Amino acid sequence: MYVKAVRPTDLNRNTEWFTYPGVWTTYILILFFSWLIVLSVLNCSPGLAWTIVHLSHFLVTYHFFHWKKGTPFADDQGIYNRLTWWEQIDSGKQLTRNRKFLTVVPVVLYLIASHTTDYQHPMLFFNTLAVFVLVVAKFPHMHKVRIFGINADQ
Amino acid sequence: MITIPYLTALTTYFSYGLLFAFGQLRDFFRKIFDWCRASNLQGYAPICLGLEDFYTRRLYLRIQDCFGRPIASAPDAWFDVVERYSNDNNKTLKRTTKKSRCLNLGSYNYLGFAASDEYCTPRAIKSLKRFSPSTCSARVDGGTTTLHTELEECVANFVQKPAAVVFGMGYVTNSAILPVLMGKGGLIISDSLNHNSIVNGARGSGATIRVFQHNTPSHLEKVLREQIADGQPRTHRPWKKIIVVVEGIYSMEGELCKLPEIVAICKKYKAYVYLDEAHSIGAVGKSGRGVCELLGVDTADVDIMMGTFTKSFGSCGGYIAGSKELIQYLKYTCPAHLYATSISPPAAQQIISSIKVILGEDGTSRGAQKLARIRENSNFFRSELQKMGFEVLGDNDSPVMPIMLYNPAKIPAFSRECLKQNVAVVTVAFPATPLLLARARICISASHTKEDLVKALEVISRVGDLVGIKYFPAEPNKQQQEKGLIKVD
Repeated sequence: MYVKAVRPTDLNRNTEWFTYPGVWTTYILILFFSWLIVLSVLNCSPGLAWTIVHLSHFLVTYHFFHWKKGTPFADDQGIYNRLTWWEQIDSGKQLTRNRKFLTVVPVVLYLIASHTTDYQHPMLFFNTLAVFVLVVAKFPHMHKVRIFGINADQ
Repeated sequence: MITIPYLTALTTYFSYGLLFAFGQLRDFFRKIFDWCRASNLQGYAPICLGLEDFYTRRLYLRIQDCFGRPIASAPDAWFDVVERYSNDNNKTLKRTTKKSRCLNLGSYNYLGFAASDEYCTPRAIKSLKRFSPSTCSARVDGGTTTLHTELEECVANFVQKPAAVVFGMGYVTNSAILPVLMGKGGLIISDSLNHNSIVNGARGSGATIRVFQHNTPSHLEKVLREQIADGQPRTHRPWKKIIVVVEGIYSMEGELCKLPEIVAICKKYKAYVYLDEAHSIGAVGKSGRGVCELLGVDTADVDIMMGTFTKSFGSCGGYIAGSKELIQYLKYTCPAHLYATSISPPAAQQIISSIKVILGEDGTSRGAQKLARIRENSNFFRSELQKMGFEVLGDNDSPVMPIMLYNPAKIPAFSRECLKQNVAVVTVAFPATPLLLARARICISASHTKEDLVKALEVISRVGDLVGIKYFPAEPNKQQQEKGLIKVD
């Protein structure tokens, strides 16, 4: 089964890989397999495993999409040094398909995690906090906004 | 268009994710260990911000032995590769005195001028004795010898343009000329896969840069229309100049540019065309005059033709060819002409002699033979690789053929296994290519004989089976089938 790789016109090597086929599937598969691994290692209930996956997904994606700025190579001479990965994808255009997909994934994870834990209290609070932070960080109005100067440059 | 098997795309993303995760883990522990060790650079800003050299440290250095291999002889069809070893898991590599004789599938030696040539080398040695290895001066000061003027005429004649100017380095030609031609208020529209020298020159010029989809004339037209209608950013005044930059053969794809359509569109919208023939000059076309001859485009339609002498002429340096007024202007303003040392005299003589051989002016038909041989070699090699089931990019007649690898682990596997069997290949990965599309790039030369190519095909086929890169089904061997039928009868 073959797919065609259309070359995008994105000059930023850090974000261009996200426009190729297969990324969305890989993302979803990684989440599913990490749920299986958590379940087999910790021998807990499926709901708790989904909560753990949801919260670690929150930590990882917040750190890499909304906290770390710049690109992992020096070729582009630092023109993206003030932008987080989320602000760099699709060259800053808002509400593209990729951005919508990445906004929906934490919400779906939240729904699965809350449903499988039957909306019980300590987990529900943390899950809601996580999804709230992630979704607000992805709003178009939050493009290049640094609240209270957190993560702003010197 | 590259067709990837879907499963390979998924596994490639997963592998890169894993490598990235391990790199971050190592960085995290390194930060903890380094906290204990106080550094004596308190108050100084760090040279690299935390994330900038992540890719180099955590991905590139692990497979460093596949890149930058030192060679100990001229880059002919067979050459000596120095063996290296590492005591600290590839962070540092030490050279040994042992050399291995390998088949060279990586050098840009398209016409075989890289090694000693019976016409060019005696003349280069004579000019070395007469002029010395360096002119020790910039062109405007004392660095223009008779060789330089002869070379410029020779090049202008070869590419069929009124005048030309030559520079000491190919990369510098692009990055120093674009800022001179364009300034703030101009528009540079470049192909998305243009070489780093063009990207750097365009960024350094201060003009606005827009990118069009690789080799897609319809997208170029769309971008041109949008930009002309829009005007300069913020003020919306009309653009001062619009220049479209394309390459003759794209070095990472082996594809030829769709020059006739692009030139037609640029004429329609009155934009200038800048053609970078680094890989195609001397290697394609009936008499080696490059992609314009091959595709039947009149050289008067291409406004600025740029090329380098490193690939087909066995020398170093670059040139710009255009109208007399343009070259005159460049000679007053280009910093590479005014301040940089001029091209070395033996190198200039090598270029002049090799152009004479290509055009047949040395009295033999070696030039035409070389051109025919490189065409046959490339077509033979490419069709054989495709028959074996590899995914090979590039058009027919192009001497550059990338074999797709995709997974990051297959890059060092392919490279090291081929080296063990005495075939040296160049592998390229992110960030020179897109993340998914890592490849091994093969450059065919006119000095490869049929036996060399057959040996290379055997080795690549064996290594390909081991590494698992035959993504397409192999075509069955038709001759064996026919023999079988005859025997049955």
